[in-house]
Amino acid sequence: MAQAEAFETDFWKHANLRKVWDDIVPGVPRKTIPYTLTKAAIELYCKSVGEDHPIYFDEAYARTTRYGGLIAPPSIHILLMFSCTPADDWMRSPGTVNAGQSWSYNIPARPDDVITLQARALDKFIKRERLFVVHDNVFFNQHGDVICSGRGWTIRPE
Amino acid sequence: MTTTFENLGEGDSIDGPKFEVSRESIRLFCDGSLDYNPLHLDDEYMKGSFGKTNFGGIIMHGMNNFGLISRMITDWAYPAGAIHRRLETRWVKPVKPGDTIQPTGIVKSKQVTANSRWVLIDVMVKNQAGEKVATGEAMVEFPN
Repeated sequence: MAQAEAFETDFWKHANLRKVWDDIVPGVPRKTIPYTLTKAAIELYCKSVGEDHPIYFDEAYARTTRYGGLIAPPSIHILLMFSCTPADDWMRSPGTVNAGQSWSYNIPARPDDVITLQARALDKFIKRERLFVVHDNVFFNQHGDVICSGRGWTIRPE
Repeated sequence: MTTTFENLGEGDSIDGPKFEVSRESIRLFCDGSLDYNPLHLDDEYMKGSFGKTNFGGIIMHGMNNFGLISRMITDWAYPAGAIHRRLETRWVKPVKPGDTIQPTGIVKSKQVTANSRWVLIDVMVKNQAGEKVATGEAMVEFPN
């Protein structure tokens, strides 16, 4: 997997550099990195959830649709969350449990888009002795257009 | 019958794809999403507890549910000329290798606003035992 080879897949490696719940300050921007979304990355993500609609794979078909060309599935933000953040981002802390997410979709991401992310913790709280952080994220394309925006609720490792 | 905003009714159902969960499917989702959290990979790590919770083995990514629900919504919306605009989900039960899960949707309501038309859909994912593993709500736009 070419993409995975360029990505640190050992989430323990930078664990000591990552913020724990106590250190996370709601409102402070997270470090993010631009990411070029390739057709291969879209196809691999599609394969992992069984997406087989031709609008993601067939250029000739995609040109006939309202989108005028290939697009990525809306849920591509699942990949973008990790591809647009550095290895010491707290979202990668081993034991981070995802409790739920909500996302709004504006325009689709497309192959070769250069994606940027603006992200922050928005809130943190304790519920039934569990340490929660709410994270807030907006993805943009290279034209500055919003692709999608969303929030997630995670339970932080202790 | 082609789905249109006009002929949709409260209670109409949408069947999503069945998905067989295996160690291989979870590993593929790691590669597709770049989420290599050991919750999804490391059997030794998963022998431990997380606060009050012990999962008893590796679990599927919650966002794999999200991706399947989103796939169901877009596969339903595209032929109708509609646009998947929002998805909110909550995970209620872990999914493990050997499970077979399936998302479904039920039309909850329709609404016309100043410039467009919207459908709200209750969504859920159930496992092979009929247990809910994820619930949520989707919003689809049917442009005028």
